[in-house]
Amino acid sequence: MSNIQLPVGWIRGVLDPCLLALLSSAEAYGYELAGRLEQAGLGRVPGGSLYPSLLRLEKQGLLVADWRAGDGGPGRKYYQLTPAGQSALCEHVGLWDEFAARVTSVLGAGVES
Amino acid sequence: MKDETWLEAFVHELEAAGVGPEDRAGAVVETEGFLSEAGSGAFEQFGSPQEYAAAVATALGQSGRRADPPPGGGDAVVVSGVSKSYRRQVVLREVSVRVGSGEVVVLTGPNGAGKSTLLRLIAGLERPDAGSIDVHGTVGYVPQAGGLDPYLRAEAHFELFGTATGLDRDEARREGNRLARELGWDAGSATVAGELSGGTAQKLSVIAAMLGRPDTLLLDEPYEGMDADSQRRFWALLWAWQDEGRSALVSSHSPGALAKATSVVEIEGLTVR
Repeated sequence: MSNIQLPVGWIRGVLDPCLLALLSSAEAYGYELAGRLEQAGLGRVPGGSLYPSLLRLEKQGLLVADWRAGDGGPGRKYYQLTPAGQSALCEHVGLWDEFAARVTSVLGAGVES
Repeated sequence: MKDETWLEAFVHELEAAGVGPEDRAGAVVETEGFLSEAGSGAFEQFGSPQEYAAAVATALGQSGRRADPPPGGGDAVVVSGVSKSYRRQVVLREVSVRVGSGEVVVLTGPNGAGKSTLLRLIAGLERPDAGSIDVHGTVGYVPQAGGLDPYLRAEAHFELFGTATGLDRDEARREGNRLARELGWDAGSATVAGELSGGTAQKLSVIAAMLGRPDTLLLDEPYEGMDADSQRRFWALLWAWQDEGRSALVSSHSPGALAKATSVVEIEGLTVR
């Protein structure tokens, strides 16, 4: 998918739920997740935004991490969704639908006037 | 700014923001891994070391305070007024050093100041002429060179040192290989110790000593010959060690070591007249 240029701050607001969603199917390490977000057309998320999100989610108990040796390089930290993360994700998905519908209606009203 | 410099600064900023040794080591290795795959500069990906360290500290809920001192707070090694001479030549004169539990203390001073001698005294390999040395718990001593069997492979060393402290052979090998990976070294395919480069032999010595799980590690110039990346990993490993409430006394004349330790003790060189 081609990437679109998004205003600064948009990705930051939705990064946490996106990471939970990406990790719901399979565990992954940081750089891999950045790659998947880019493939999904959300642009290149810099490491400086990515890792604080992952650390926060881990701290909140929504993810667990496991260190493994990299291919000759430095070790890799693999993140995995916890049951708490799974239910947080479900909650986010519901909230997002609601939020997106409301934003769409506000934006629509703005265009009409 | 070179990535190397950026990472160094990042470590300091994390420490200043109160991020503990283990989280610090994790953040550095993860950042490093990302940079090696992304192939772009640290500044571009992570912003300034200060900003990124602050973001990490906030994410960990540790912003703005220094790390708590490790639990316990007792003494690991107390050296009081120790002197030592060889053939009337004074090597140490009334030296005092204290290493607390969970502390990493760097011993610095010019060549010939007696750093190695002091470590040998603490290890119990020699006796002081005067003064006292109290060691609480066990010590593991890594000499500047030697201490390895040149005809044994790395994994055989792991088994030898690990089984001496109650691990079975598989456990010892696994734990040794894990520590080696932390130091960026694939020990499984390594040759016999006698053919290892200086830096790699030092890694093997440090790992062997760690396998003994002593309360205090005595390391004599442990990263002489290690490259910059290995040195960084070595410190990350020591911080994890410290996190377990264990201690280390590290002799070094590398100025980079000084900022990484709990405290620094300088022994003055005694001028020979």
